[in-house]
Amino acid sequence: MATRAAALRKRQRDVSPEARQTIKEAITTLVRSGIRQSLGLYWYGQQDAYWVTPDSGDPELELWATLVRSCGWWWPRDGVCVVSERPLAIRTDGEHRLHCETGLAMVYPDGWGVHAWHGTRVPSWVIEDPTADRINGSVNAEVRRCAIEHLGWAAYIEQAGLRVLSQAPDPGNPGCELQLYDLPGHPPSRLLLAVNGSAERDGTRRRYGLRVPAGFDHPLDAAGWSYGLTGAQYARLQRRT
Amino acid sequence: MFLAELLDRTGLDVLEHLDRQVTVPVIDGLQAQGDLVVLPLAWLGWVLHDWWELPPEGRELVRGEAGNNPHTLVADPGTCRMTTWLGDPERLAIAAFENTAPAWLVHPEHGATGIAPGRWFVRRQRELGAGFRKPVLIAD
Repeated sequence: MATRAAALRKRQRDVSPEARQTIKEAITTLVRSGIRQSLGLYWYGQQDAYWVTPDSGDPELELWATLVRSCGWWWPRDGVCVVSERPLAIRTDGEHRLHCETGLAMVYPDGWGVHAWHGTRVPSWVIEDPTADRINGSVNAEVRRCAIEHLGWAAYIEQAGLRVLSQAPDPGNPGCELQLYDLPGHPPSRLLLAVNGSAERDGTRRRYGLRVPAGFDHPLDAAGWSYGLTGAQYARLQRRT
Repeated sequence: MFLAELLDRTGLDVLEHLDRQVTVPVIDGLQAQGDLVVLPLAWLGWVLHDWWELPPEGRELVRGEAGNNPHTLVADPGTCRMTTWLGDPERLAIAAFENTAPAWLVHPEHGATGIAPGRWFVRRQRELGAGFRKPVLIAD
């Protein structure tokens, strides 16, 4: 069956690589990560929409099109077939990544779903109630980054009670400061807070934090390290966008 | 060079909210475009080899985490050669290039920036990994 499906896919080469990327990688793989490996071999339904052309006149492909219109994943077994519902909603950001700031990014009729932040799958607290305590207690760097982005760097720094160790103007980024903070946790590390060189759609400049080694006391040294440079070299930055 | 003109010539695009009527400055020195930095090759003092011509359509240096937002290097044909054969002890190297006319780095969110004729080296940005893990590369 896998060979038949692969052969069918090959006949449908006219799908743009961009659509393939969006649906297959951005959404399908994320949701699949919620399915336990122990469930064994499974087949896609609606997720195959990116390559299944409806009303193609090809009887074999029509069977697949029916699946795409009817269900999500399905598991054929001896004399029994488990079929999952299609999701009620799939929410994405402007770049077609699975994303919702207020609730589930993907919702199924029975209430099960997936929380996601700009394409990264996250636990529910990241979306529903991100706090500095929960962020500091999380071992996953990606999850921490998403939660801090949602909470906002300013709120995170305030809630976590971080104090500025040192600050300096960001060379090449006029009017913007680099700030260095001590981060809680082990091993010791510091946080470099910087301002994006380019404006967002709403005209604001996004602030972002980078974790840096604890040995740096000056923001320029920390910023330089992030690019493999010394602080003195980074100080010569002429332009940042 | 206006941003609009550069985009027209290269067939690349940037996000709608960026002003296309701005002049793209040509910088002769260290500069950063988001998570990439362009630095003078002389700072590193390395001898590089296996140079090849930058193709007319340019070359994507790195893509963002979700597979979009590429940083693309473009230049007039015959004015830029590059190499990706680099042994960077910091493990941040992307490419080195040598240009005899301004080369351009274009990114959907950051717009465009010009790089004066010279020999340059491009590195990515990193931050500490969680816990005791090794540093991770930034992908914006």
